[in-house]
Amino acid sequence: MSHFLDRLMFFRKNVDSFAGDHGVVTNEDRTWEDAYRNRWAHDRIVRSTHGANCTGSCSWKIYVKGGIVTWETQQTDYPRTRPDLPNHEPRGCSRGASYSWYLYSANRVKYPMVRGRLLRLWRAAKAEHKDPVKAWKSIVEDPQKAQEYKSIRGRGGFVRVGWDEANEIVAAANVHTVKAHGPDRVIGFSPIPAMSMVSYAAGSRYLSLIGGVCMSFYDWYCDLPPSSPQTWGEQTDVPESADWYNSTFIMMWGSNVPQTRTPDAHFMTEVRYKGAKTVTVTPDYSEASKFADLWLAPKQGTDAALAMAMGHVILKEFHLAGRSPYFENYCRQYTDMPMLVRLVERDGRYVPDRLVRAADFEGALGETNNPDWKTVAVDQASGKVVVPRGSVGFRWGEQGKWNLEPKAADGSEIKTRLTLIDARDAVLPVAFPYFGGLRHEHFASTGHDDVLLRNVPARRVKLKDGEAMVATVFDLFVANYGVDRGLGGGNVAASFDDDVPYTPAWQEKITGVSRDKVIAVARDFADNAAKTQGKSMVILGAAVNHWYHGDMIYRGIINLLVMCGCVGQSGGGWSHYVGQEKLRPQTGWLPLAFALDWNRPPRQMNSTSFFYAHTSQWRHEKLGVAEILSPLADRKAMEGSLIDFNVRAERMGWLPSAPQLGTNPLAVAREAAAAGKEPVPHAVAALKSGALKMACEDPDNPANFPRNLFVWRSNLLGSSGKGHEYFLKYLLGAQHGVQGKDLGAEGGSKPQEVIWRERSAEGKLDLLVTLDFRMSTTCMYSDVVLPTATWYEKHDLNTSDMHPFIHPLSAAVDPAWQARSDWEIFKGIARKFSEVCVGHLGVEKDLVLTPIQHDTPAELAQPYQPKDWKKGECEPVPGKTMPAMAVVERDYPNTYRKFTALGPLMARLGNGGKGISWNTDAEIKALAELNHVVAEEGVAKGLPRIATDIEAAEVILMLAPETNGHVAVKAWEALEKQTGREHAHLADTREDEKLRFRDLQAQPRKIISSPTWSGIESEHVSYNAGYTNVHELIPWRTLTGRQQLYQDHPWMIAFGEALCVYRPPIDTKACGPMLGKRGNGNPELVLNFITPHQKWGIHSTYTDNLMMLTLSRGGPIVWLSEVDAKKAGIEDNDWIEAFNVNGALVARAVVSQRVPQGMVLMYHAQEKIVNVPGSEITQARGGIHNSVTRACPKPTHMIGGYAQQSYGFNYHGTIGTNRDEFVIVRKMANVDWLDRSAPAAAAAAAAAAE
Amino acid sequence: MRRTLKALAALIAYPEAPLVRAMPEIMAEFAAEKRLPEGVRVQLVRLCTMLGRDDLIDLQERYVALFDRTRSLSLHLFEHVHGDSRDRGPAMVDLLSIYRAHGLEIADNELPDYLPLYIEYAAMLEDGAGVPALADVARILAPIRDRLARRGSPYAPVFDALLALAGAEIARGPGAGDPDEDDPEAMDRAWEEAAVVFGPEAAPGRDRGCDRAATILARMNAQ
Repeated sequence: MSHFLDRLMFFRKNVDSFAGDHGVVTNEDRTWEDAYRNRWAHDRIVRSTHGANCTGSCSWKIYVKGGIVTWETQQTDYPRTRPDLPNHEPRGCSRGASYSWYLYSANRVKYPMVRGRLLRLWRAAKAEHKDPVKAWKSIVEDPQKAQEYKSIRGRGGFVRVGWDEANEIVAAANVHTVKAHGPDRVIGFSPIPAMSMVSYAAGSRYLSLIGGVCMSFYDWYCDLPPSSPQTWGEQTDVPESADWYNSTFIMMWGSNVPQTRTPDAHFMTEVRYKGAKTVTVTPDYSEASKFADLWLAPKQGTDAALAMAMGHVILKEFHLAGRSPYFENYCRQYTDMPMLVRLVERDGRYVPDRLVRAADFEGALGETNNPDWKTVAVDQASGKVVVPRGSVGFRWGEQGKWNLEPKAADGSEIKTRLTLIDARDAVLPVAFPYFGGLRHEHFASTGHDDVLLRNVPARRVKLKDGEAMVATVFDLFVANYGVDRGLGGGNVAASFDDDVPYTPAWQEKITGVSRDKVIAVARDFADNAAKTQGKSMVILGAAVNHWYHGDMIYRGIINLLVMCGCVGQSGGGWSHYVGQEKLRPQTGWLPLAFALDWNRPPRQMNSTSFFYAHTSQWRHEKLGVAEILSPLADRKAMEGSLIDFNVRAERMGWLPSAPQLGTNPLAVAREAAAAGKEPVPHAVAALKSGALKMACEDPDNPANFPRNLFVWRSNLLGSSGKGHEYFLKYLLGAQHGVQGKDLGAEGGSKPQEVIWRERSAEGKLDLLVTLDFRMSTTCMYSDVVLPTATWYEKHDLNTSDMHPFIHPLSAAVDPAWQARSDWEIFKGIARKFSEVCVGHLGVEKDLVLTPIQHDTPAELAQPYQPKDWKKGECEPVPGKTMPAMAVVERDYPNTYRKFTALGPLMARLGNGGKGISWNTDAEIKALAELNHVVAEEGVAKGLPRIATDIEAAEVILMLAPETNGHVAVKAWEALEKQTGREHAHLADTREDEKLRFRDLQAQPRKIISSPTWSGIESEHVSYNAGYTNVHELIPWRTLTGRQQLYQDHPWMIAFGEALCVYRPPIDTKACGPMLGKRGNGNPELVLNFITPHQKWGIHSTYTDNLMMLTLSRGGPIVWLSEVDAKKAGIEDNDWIEAFNVNGALVARAVVSQRVPQGMVLMYHAQEKIVNVPGSEITQARGGIHNSVTRACPKPTHMIGGYAQQSYGFNYHGTIGTNRDEFVIVRKMANVDWLDRSAPAAAAAAAAAAE
Repeated sequence: MRRTLKALAALIAYPEAPLVRAMPEIMAEFAAEKRLPEGVRVQLVRLCTMLGRDDLIDLQERYVALFDRTRSLSLHLFEHVHGDSRDRGPAMVDLLSIYRAHGLEIADNELPDYLPLYIEYAAMLEDGAGVPALADVARILAPIRDRLARRGSPYAPVFDALLALAGAEIARGPGAGDPDEDDPEAMDRAWEEAAVVFGPEAAPGRDRGCDRAATILARMNAQ
């Protein structure tokens, strides 16, 4: 049957099907859908982002309905990229999407809080003394009262207080501390301004106005790679993630890109479709390994051996084989390889010494300006020694010759010799230190001698002190890699299969990676770079950076990139992503943040050295300097313990100090005035005579305690505080889990420069104030907790390394409960301070010490062997042989007025950064029109107003070249004077652009190219570090002005790191005293303790978000291998304990094939406050990942006053490494939650205290 | 009843000096409130006596530890209903619109689901509408009462009183089965999933997953 009559002829039904009957069109009532529409309806959408230091800096839409934040979604309105490049979005990950939970969660800090014990003391004292400063004094100067509230820190007992009362306590404590001990005893710790720079500036501006100390973070977090300042004179500068797409060969080396750079990872996955090859280097099977064409799994901490072996292959097959003219020219023009190094004869062999300087020659080769700081090379055509332009000596004291043109100082064209092999006078046996033979219980050593003699081509030159032998950096560099050049002698390899450092065969025993893989990757890497002119890239991260000798791992990798001409080339280079340190509008932000508009210089301190001293971790030091010195070093000249080296560095003006002097700096100035002298010469004379001491020489003296500490935008105690238990014991005087004994009890050798006090100091801090929106571990230990606005409740700015945009944080809603923005909080404290200081502090003179700063003429301090004035080796000269000194006038009662107005110094002194400066009159005028001026009578009258967070943001945007095109052009022109070359074209197309805060809220905006950074923002290339050095011939800010691969400071040589070498991890000796001593019946294993970043917390700080925790095990976890788990009788999800002399932590075990034998992984910063039971070792609650670590500084990071190795805040200094640590792991026998006994325990402790 | 409710709201608000001073007034109010069972009145007076007598900072410390720092005793109602889910924001928006429909705006810096605030709202309602308003949240109040009672907290009678006024003799509802967060074993039991079994051992219905999750699902479906 045909169904003819069943068919319609003229109609069709309005109920129809489509998609092959999978879909049906109907005509039913759809009003039920309104329920869903209403569910997703909102009043408005506000743009904000997250200040998590995750480097994401993603733009988000915050949905608000009825004044309540309901949810957030990713913004998708980024400006488009170029046609050949994928767009940025979507940016944002599950962690960001879970953030709105915090706003209304039970964990929110809702009110200002003070611990009841302290409040009771305070109210009683206030009843007795009307003056709050006297009231505070009566509490802290009474040992019993002080002990009463300090000992209970971390154990609850908070009550709510009003803002006025909280501010009064804080202000009174600050005033008392400034008056009684000195302003440099008021300390502030806040990290990573880039994640919310106005909020950072709020606290730092307050502290800088009163003379307090701002603490560094990038070095303390160990995110700072010291190899970057060493090599480039640059803190860190890296490609944006979009530049990954321009690469054709990517290595992900200790960086878990999909897990920790989630919004950026798409550029990496996309470029694989374009044909780029990817190689990952990671000991565990990380998420990044899944994206690899080849996965190399070296034993953790041995990456330098792998990198050195790769370098060996590349040098032999490319450089010595002459395969790439590109490599050769790049090395000649952009590296220190042609520079000459003096070889010094010692015991029949030669030792590489410092770089030869113009001043070494008769007549200084015609150089009159800074000849001590100008390095030399041999010109190929003439064979003469010449002074190439661009070294640091050209940067200061003259103009127009600081550039990388292939010219000598006199302007003549030169082509420098990379090698002297064809122009040698001799072949000399040169000694290289070798550390791979050091015995370590857990790392393989090789049987080679600790000194390796290798033949090097050398040339004889006539210096003013006689004849000397010299070699080029290149020739020493190649010899160091052990490549045979046919010069005879031992310790060089003709074949990759020879077991000679640093061949592919040699590294097998150390890393466990087979030689053929090393050779193949090295060849591919170099071959790709040779063909593409540098498009090989290494993305590297914390996994390799956090080792004590992480700088060696980094330099090993940097060497690969530099020898293949990858740095400064689009799609190539060194991509270090650890921390959101790129504060793009930096020079606009600095005056606001450090109150440079009112007084200069500010007090800044490197945190690693600070916490090492003041949490008394130095009292437990077990690493002897002799263990890490070069076998070639003069051991007599390098005696002392680690803290001794730090004290020497502070004394010589290399590192900062806090507190600075053993005396209140206000008193020093007063004494000078009383004696009718200027404060600076008075202090210098007193230091020389010994009447005045540096505070660092006696850290356990109560006069030198840090007294007040502000923590904001940070979870110092729950996350970044290496040596957590030492913080609790010594700094806070609270319950702690330190298990080891100090050097006094152990009978270890004591420091030479530091006074040893038998009785350790505990509870040094009088006041710990924390600002947070959530009750973090740090809040739990604080005396005063102030509720701050969340990232959806305040206005602020946020930038990242990963993309060129500048994002706003916006107040989608007002702060909930009693919360206030950081800006308002510090403004409130400043106002209260100004009130209560009257009668105690007036206009005071403050003597401020600053270390010798990088990017200033002072960085040319001591060109040769450093001299110590304390030992009588030289005169104490501020800013040359000792810290610079300045007298700063503090008008304390006007602190609030100064806080809220842009001060007069901007007009008088201008603005600038990184060695250049410019006039700011136009910007000040514009700010006065935009923000209006202060009308109130007083010091601020007529100055641009900074009352609100938006006004503060406008100050940054107006003053910074990155956000104000006029300033960018001025900045480039200022640089042109130094380089003698034209650069303004990099910004002049955007000269009229000025980004305002409201512009940023409308749509993400790209920053404008500025000389603050070494990359550019343009329509043609993605941001890449070193780009302007290579393409604009602007020198790197190093001694040679080039990428410096040879580090010739005497301390670098003494510690064996003039050239990159493989060094095994240090022995922290943390497990021996505990192993088998505190048995619980379960087997104990000693394993390496590794702490990567996680997936289930918001970056490195927030592991209390239940939405995230629900996706994992809901509490702290430690990963271990199946083999180790079996040995220890541990099954998945068992409660285990990890401990050593530093303390203990508890967690659940995750037994996984991901983890190699011999190590455990504990994700960074799992809060002690979420699902953590008690420890069997400490009898206290669990602990955090830093409960088993202890900071251990490295002397080479203390070097200062030496071109690129000069201090800069967060630029250079000691770093808080923690990967070398081992822990004892065992299954717990008893899991005690300590829950019911907590109030009882507190009561017992209270009774004990009374 | 209005004054009684306001008194109960005040008792579980953060203790401050004005509240402590108002104790005689509040105690008189309870004495006159015949809708409350005798036993509850006695206990309320005991709470009032404590609030009027003890050191204020001690009271505040205990209050913060109890209600601010213990998630399972949170006085924000939606903590117990929506917890960490994204529904919490929209739920607050809905509650806010109910207040607004009654001509009430929140004057304090508090969220709409803050229990003392909600009680005050119930107290403002005319014509006995307060009772159903209280009854609406009775299922949330009961488990809090149970947890407080287990701790021997003097605050428990406030919840007894609220439940009595709501006329709700609450059988232990789905929410009431939530284990206390200070009882980790009970938490573990509630969240433990049955082991998944493969092969011939696997029987239909045997792999039920997590009972706790099933409870939550049931609760969501009921709403």
